Amino acid sequence: MAMAPRKPRNREILFDSVIALVFILVACVDLCDGATVVDVYRLIQYDMSGVPFGSRLASLNHHAASLHFSPHADLSRTVLLIPLRELNMSFVQEYIVASKPLGGLIFLLPQMFNSENKGGVGSNRDDGNKDLLKNVLAELEQILIHTNLPYPVYFAFEDDNIDNVLLDIKKNDASGQPATATTGGYKFVVSATEPKKVGSPPITNIQGWLAGLKTDGDSHQLPTIAIVASYDTFGAAPALSVGSDSNGSGIVALLEVARLFSLLYSNPKTRGQYNLLFGLTSGGPYNYNGTRKWLQSFDQRLRESIDYAICLDSIGSWENDLWIHVSKPPENAFIKQIMEDFSSVAEDLGFQVNLKHKKINISNSRVAWEHEQFSRLRVTAATLSELSTAPELLESTGGLIDGRQFVNEASIVRSVKLIAESLAKHIYGHQGKNVQIFADNSNLAVNPSYVRSWLDILSRTPRVAPFLSKDDPFITALKKELEDHTDEVHLQREVLDGMFTFYDSTTAKLNIYQVASVTFDLLLLLVLGSYLIVLFSFLVITTRGLDDLISLFRRPPSRKVKTA
Amino acid sequence: MTVFHFFNCAILTFGPHAVYYSATPLSEYDTLGTSVKAAVVYLATALVKLVCLATFLKVSESDSFDPYQEFLKALIGFIDVAGLYFALTQLTHRNISQNHKFQAVGLGWAFADSVLHRLAPLWVGARGLEFTWEYILQGLEANANLVLSISLAGLGSLMWLRKNKPKTLIPIIYLSAVIVATMPSITSYLRRGLGWHLPKVVGFELFTSLVMAFISWQLFAACQRPSA
Repeated sequence: MAMAPRKPRNREILFDSVIALVFILVACVDLCDGATVVDVYRLIQYDMSGVPFGSRLASLNHHAASLHFSPHADLSRTVLLIPLRELNMSFVQEYIVASKPLGGLIFLLPQMFNSENKGGVGSNRDDGNKDLLKNVLAELEQILIHTNLPYPVYFAFEDDNIDNVLLDIKKNDASGQPATATTGGYKFVVSATEPKKVGSPPITNIQGWLAGLKTDGDSHQLPTIAIVASYDTFGAAPALSVGSDSNGSGIVALLEVARLFSLLYSNPKTRGQYNLLFGLTSGGPYNYNGTRKWLQSFDQRLRESIDYAICLDSIGSWENDLWIHVSKPPENAFIKQIMEDFSSVAEDLGFQVNLKHKKINISNSRVAWEHEQFSRLRVTAATLSELSTAPELLESTGGLIDGRQFVNEASIVRSVKLIAESLAKHIYGHQGKNVQIFADNSNLAVNPSYVRSWLDILSRTPRVAPFLSKDDPFITALKKELEDHTDEVHLQREVLDGMFTFYDSTTAKLNIYQVASVTFDLLLLLVLGSYLIVLFSFLVITTRGLDDLISLFRRPPSRKVKTA
Repeated sequence: MTVFHFFNCAILTFGPHAVYYSATPLSEYDTLGTSVKAAVVYLATALVKLVCLATFLKVSESDSFDPYQEFLKALIGFIDVAGLYFALTQLTHRNISQNHKFQAVGLGWAFADSVLHRLAPLWVGARGLEFTWEYILQGLEANANLVLSISLAGLGSLMWLRKNKPKTLIPIIYLSAVIVATMPSITSYLRRGLGWHLPKVVGFELFTSLVMAFISWQLFAACQRPSA
């Protein structure tokens, strides 16, 4: 009949649709997120000459605790959520330096260190101890960079959500119950892939050439003056290393000097008889590796034609003193010339420039200042900086504490004036005369809004070299800016030398879940089981009678009684 | 604790239906077919309601209580009643007593409602790590819904299947039926208009379902007396 074949077909269709529905439902496995999702930034992970440093893991799935944990708790499966305000160095020493086992660490930084935060608004707490916090963070950063931590370490910024979570966690901890699988609490989950090595970390050097005035019949090549600044940074959290002072201030000063001299050089009547070479180098924190490769790419004639090079390093937060660091002895004629030019201009502008001499040790691979790379190739060079002593390796390289609010654009403006006037003195030969070429209110004045806008952009761009690909839009922007101010721009693409190896995975999202303990679920199961049993008994009694209920449990004996 | 929690909420939501079926004489008379047919009728009704809602209702941006929209929703809710009428009267059931027929229809109706409205959120939501009370409350709501559906089916069978009813009871029967049928509108008014939170609303639902069940039971018993 017609019914028989139709039934199986209907059943098949039903079966197929049920299968499809099951597949759809199974696919919706991980659709729900935690109540709170926070952006977190991972501590850097790198190897230096094979020795591992930094945080070696990225994914996290543990219960959370605060600093008020009970002293004998086992923390190897717990994440500690630590606000910077409550951090004390004894804890750091005890747990981090002594390598005690931990499930993970999350540091909560005040909003004032957040470069995305405009103007430092957002924290209504007392930031009177700003300097104290800055020092604590600086110390913490140095310790973290030089320690091997076999667990994930993340940085996050304070905001309402995570502050509430922290309060809750503190309350739980104070009641003596650490969060584990049986007692409930908060669970922190970061799902990140295993960090992989960054294959060939790229370094890109950008150079701009501004040609001087060549009078006809001039058989000698014109002398060149180089102005150089390194643009990359290194810090505890590579996604947050914006390096406003170190070396954002140097980059901004270089761009402004380039702009001013391009105005002067645009008119052949005011073009000097010196070529100007502007260099934005990468690989600064790693012993100025990029600068060395850049210099090695020069051809011999160019290298010999450089009269001197001025390197800029951190000129954004000084008050009254700047230092010129040199490696050639101060009696050298060129060094004397440089010092004379700079100090006379500085005197006119109302501050002081000091000379500091540090000999290079050829056998030591440590390159503390950029000018040392020039000196190793026999080019006279000096570094202009607000730092009086040479920083150690991976120190003062634009880390967490180097934010926009700690840089003073007025200092940068003064530095630009100093550099521009001193160079002009040398180029146009106004030795000894009190002439101001880049006077205020002239059309060659230093433009503070140019300085400010570039400083703002730089303070929002993390620039750790291994994570800046060679086609990064930031590098393209620098190239375009130099093209506006110079005649020729070249990009030199290299690979960072072998001593450093970096690992990726620098940002992630932290999911915070409030979980119930297993005992709660068991209790619920018990309650539901008893509810269903009571319901069952109630329904049997009301519809079939009490005897039926009893008979459900006593059937076998009653049969025996009957047969007997 | 995730799949465990899902399991807990699932037995809270669907357990009572199974318990009801096995505890009452419904299982003895094998009325499963009736329940299944009632479930299918519910699905069809839900589809029709969806189409009507989509056609006649406009999407409101705010979550406030709009009387006109709610009135329209209540009208469309009466399609439910029409579906129940169809299930009770038009479907050919095997020879089951009226007593069991309305129970089976109500059971099938409530089960389909729970599956359609509560299974998907439960599957997606209760298995996550985050713990909320939402799914437990949803399960309690399913229980209240079961009781309400059975009461409505009972009142419906009184209205349409029983021919000789005491005259005095007829208005009460119709009134109770109207109250039970408009329960969804009442709860949505409570939730949006008065701003009650979910636990309060669920508590109210449970309480009224028990009250209405008691009233329907009394009415049924009262109508049963003359014919018995």
